[in-house]
Amino acid sequence: MSAVTAAPPGNKPGSKDAKPGKKVSERQRPLWLLTPGGLLMTLIILIPLLLALWISLIDLDQYTLRRWVEAPFIGIGNYVESFEAGLPKSIWLSVSFAVLSTAVTVPIGIAAALVTQNAYRGRALVRAVFLIPYVLPSFVVASVWRTMLQPDGIVNETLGLGSTLWLSGPNSYWTLVLVEIWAAWPFIYLMALAALQSVDNEVHEASAVDGANWWAKLTRVILPYLRGPVLLACLLATLNHINNFTLPFVLFGAPAPDDVNVMPMLVYVTSFQGLRFGLSAAMAVISLILIAIPLYAYLRAVRLDVDK
Amino acid sequence: MRYGRAIALAGATVLVAAMTACGGDDEGGGGDGAGKTLNVLIGANTQYPEEFAAWQKSISDKFKAQTGADVKFETFASANDELTKIQTSVVAGSGPDVYAVGTTFTPTAYSTGAFVKLGDEEWKKIGGKEKFVPATLGISGPDDQNQVGIPWVSRPFVMAYNTELLKAAGIDKPATTWDELTAQAKQLTKGDQYGLAIAYKDNFDPWKFVWGMSTQAGNPLIDGKTAKLQDPTVKKAYETYFGWLTTDKVVDPAAIGWTNPQAVAAFSKGKTGYFALTTATAINSLDQGAVKGKWAFTLLPTVPPGATSRPANGVEAASILSGDNLLVADYSKNKDLAFEYVKLVTDQEQQLDYYKKFGNLPANAAALDTLKSDQKLAPLTDAAQKSVATPFTGAWADIQLALTNVAVQTLPDLAKGPVSAATLDGRIADAQKKAQSSLDRAK
Repeated sequence: MSAVTAAPPGNKPGSKDAKPGKKVSERQRPLWLLTPGGLLMTLIILIPLLLALWISLIDLDQYTLRRWVEAPFIGIGNYVESFEAGLPKSIWLSVSFAVLSTAVTVPIGIAAALVTQNAYRGRALVRAVFLIPYVLPSFVVASVWRTMLQPDGIVNETLGLGSTLWLSGPNSYWTLVLVEIWAAWPFIYLMALAALQSVDNEVHEASAVDGANWWAKLTRVILPYLRGPVLLACLLATLNHINNFTLPFVLFGAPAPDDVNVMPMLVYVTSFQGLRFGLSAAMAVISLILIAIPLYAYLRAVRLDVDK
Repeated sequence: MRYGRAIALAGATVLVAAMTACGGDDEGGGGDGAGKTLNVLIGANTQYPEEFAAWQKSISDKFKAQTGADVKFETFASANDELTKIQTSVVAGSGPDVYAVGTTFTPTAYSTGAFVKLGDEEWKKIGGKEKFVPATLGISGPDDQNQVGIPWVSRPFVMAYNTELLKAAGIDKPATTWDELTAQAKQLTKGDQYGLAIAYKDNFDPWKFVWGMSTQAGNPLIDGKTAKLQDPTVKKAYETYFGWLTTDKVVDPAAIGWTNPQAVAAFSKGKTGYFALTTATAINSLDQGAVKGKWAFTLLPTVPPGATSRPANGVEAASILSGDNLLVADYSKNKDLAFEYVKLVTDQEQQLDYYKKFGNLPANAAALDTLKSDQKLAPLTDAAQKSVATPFTGAWADIQLALTNVAVQTLPDLAKGPVSAATLDGRIADAQKKAQSSLDRAK
């Protein structure tokens, strides 16, 4: 932005307006260049969001769909019904599942990053292998696990567990967590690896000169470097877990067992099987707010939104 | 699909409405269709993609020769895709002219009010109501005056049985009552051989059993605006269905995790007596397995569990009325062409051609008659005529979901043994509540 920081010719030096050069330049930034992007954002994000908000306030279902403009306005009716239709339990399931998955994937991801930090024979191969779960489409991951976790599937046979049910009942929750961890840890690994590589060589040298052993070096020097990126990774990963629809849908089908009726599943069934578009929009809005809370907290904490 | 898209979709749906409302289709009446294009939405055929493309081409050519107009086929991959398309089109008042929708989805489509109600004139345009198998008209609308669905193809459900295993067990004819089926299945179960293949974890199968058994016992699940899921017939149906696995032990314990295709695969291995719910489209899979040449179709039992004959108010429901209906969109500017298309694909010749290519039975009565001579198909054609429509209400989607949900939530209990009456009652009560609330909303 250095090009626009020069004082514009119209401002006389020493005049009141021109005093803080930066301010003037800020006022004259060519913000209009943002118009195409802004229009696009309005069209594909803002308007649909506002419509979703509106839909959440009307009684829109298959009977009123055709004349949706005339669908009866019922205020917070859908929101009230959401709480009776099992949303609190779904929220609890989604949040606990997401937090649990993140909590387990972080140490795995960091450990994997540390393992592939120093050069050794075959490191490239190890790195490639680590990325396999991440590059596989969620649908494939879920299908393969679903097959393996059949009552007479390979998991039960190998572990000698008889015909333990992994895809129905209380176990299904742990299945969901397990498969999510399997598929999601490389994301933390990637973020941690990127952070590790940004650690200056001088830091390594300095700690070597100071005679730090590996543990002290890891906990006092390296990990603090990772803190920022890994926290960001935690946030993004948690949001990804909460948003994951494909995995529970393919693993368990719809209707899902009560133990894995996470928010995306509930919204899907309400919308596409129950055809209660208004109700499901209300559920979606509630979950959006829920997701916005950690996001807001994070943005406040790192102050990404504040001009420095 | 990510979760945020659910929100976006809702918005986008409406957005499409705003945008397409400005556009407009070409105007004009029927007769000479030259230069016009008819849009048809139809389910993609993943089993026979090449034949399906060839069929589309041949229909397009014939239609062009007849009317001068082109047909443009648009396919949907899943019921979800179809629903989304219907939603956007209904809201926008613009989209496909003709829809092919599943029978059980027809009430939902009807409730949107976006499709042409068929009067005498419309029926005449497509060759008269008489040309269809009477049973197939059962889910065209809530009553004779309010029909929207034109029967296109039928896929009635039947049982498949292993002729060799039955013979070896000294069973000379397949079961016709549910109790008989259970008894025969017990006879057939020994060693690594099982009497029945049931897809307990399927997302659609369970409600079909429960509906069938209850309907046969005189309870079609809905009475006017009242859901009757807490009727003893429903409980008996669930007990019978779960009992095969837990008390009768005539089903492979692994069946608790099966979907319908998995049950087909299990039956194909030749170690199972009966496969209780299947249809013509499974023929290929069966003929590719060890069971090839050793299987036959038969009607599902039509006498309710616990009885030796059907009660007076019971219905001989051999299958749900299953297949596809054609619906003409109310907003269509090409209605005459649309009916000409419907006439073309429901004529005897095209119906038989479609059957030969894809195994879906004709809804055209004359076409179905010509298949009756085929012994192997006899149970299917019989089932097509004895199919009974599921209740015609916009709430049906919710009700079948609630019925399936009872099975889904009960699976973990089944692994431990028979489900307790109290637990089952509780789950049925929950289903009843959902069904009733959905019926209360129905307009």
